[in-house]
Amino acid sequence: MTTTMYADEVAPCPPRAGTLYDVLELILDRGMVIDVFVRVSLVGIEILKIDARIVVASVDTYLRFAEACNRLDLERDSGSTTIPELLGGRAAKSVGKRKVRQAAESVGDTVRKAVGGDDDEDDDGNERPKKRRAPARDGSSRRRRVEA
Amino acid sequence: MSGNDVYVYAIIPAGQALPPGAVGVGSPAAALRLVDEGRVTAVVSAAPPQLRARRRDLMAHQEVLQRLTDTGPVLPMRFGTVAPDDESVRAQLARSQAEHRATLSHLRGGVEFNLKALPAQDALAAVVAEEKNVRRLREAVRRRPGYEANVRLGEAVSAALSRRAAEAGRKILHELTPLARETAPGPEVHGCVLNVSFLVDRSRGDSFRTTVQRFADRHRDHLELRVAGPLPCYSFVSSRPQRTPVAGG
Repeated sequence: MTTTMYADEVAPCPPRAGTLYDVLELILDRGMVIDVFVRVSLVGIEILKIDARIVVASVDTYLRFAEACNRLDLERDSGSTTIPELLGGRAAKSVGKRKVRQAAESVGDTVRKAVGGDDDEDDDGNERPKKRRAPARDGSSRRRRVEA
Repeated sequence: MSGNDVYVYAIIPAGQALPPGAVGVGSPAAALRLVDEGRVTAVVSAAPPQLRARRRDLMAHQEVLQRLTDTGPVLPMRFGTVAPDDESVRAQLARSQAEHRATLSHLRGGVEFNLKALPAQDALAAVVAEEKNVRRLREAVRRRPGYEANVRLGEAVSAALSRRAAEAGRKILHELTPLARETAPGPEVHGCVLNVSFLVDRSRGDSFRTTVQRFADRHRDHLELRVAGPLPCYSFVSSRPQRTPVAGG
């Protein structure tokens, strides 16, 4: 069955072989090379990898991290900054988490677009890596307990 | 390119059958066939005109190799390998037969697991709580909000996330190495603090995965681990001297 190795990404370690994105660089940069055979040009892919590098180092990413960091504060009463409370504030934490994800995913998205490229007619969705989702957490009740 | 172009997927031992139902690159998908020469066989198909690294073709390549790996030892070719015709494939197989046989027997019973470590996705609160520098910069932003202060804070968060992941990455590498026959560093992947492949006995694949999973659970605040496998042995077929044999593996 062709879809078994493109698993959902709910678990920290997706089962089976992982997504295409996870093994892309192995398919493109590893494997046996035989001198007398030619290889197709991968110029487009390489260019887009470099684009991804720019995204990682961008000020935009830093600002998103900072915003997420500041948001951690805003979710709490302005006076309370103790560490246990910060760690216990699950509702606040999950907001920050989403922000970190957004910043971190911009890289992957760029590469995914690169691979998708001009070849959209066969994208049936199975192979497209999904956005990671945190399991639902009972944020509000946890937070009440902490703040009580 | 001429009309006879042959896309080469893999080299396998002679006598091994094609996986039923497997198809090749191109649209419509090309039919797979075998080119035999002595004791080794190449798995090939017609090469589609204007082949490029498109998602569908990357997946087809990977899928053929994955299916072959399920049935026996495989020398996976790098994506996009094209020979001018069957004759040149046969000539190559004849020339390098001994070397191919040696690598196939070296890989027998082994599969590749690839491990990537990324900064933890859920660790912002932990970073703020545990990293003095981040806490200090966050206080500075609160006292004096502004663009520069935010950039510095974000940069510090980003650096802390990477550093914490790299530290934990070194630990997991240390834990996993004894479970592998060999290790091989993967190509640099942006956003990853660790990318390494392991040649693992197929029978030890489950315990390899379990070890990764346990480590991932224990170090959620430091890194996210992504393990792929069992895979075709992409990283263990080149003769480049970058592989690291593992003593006692």
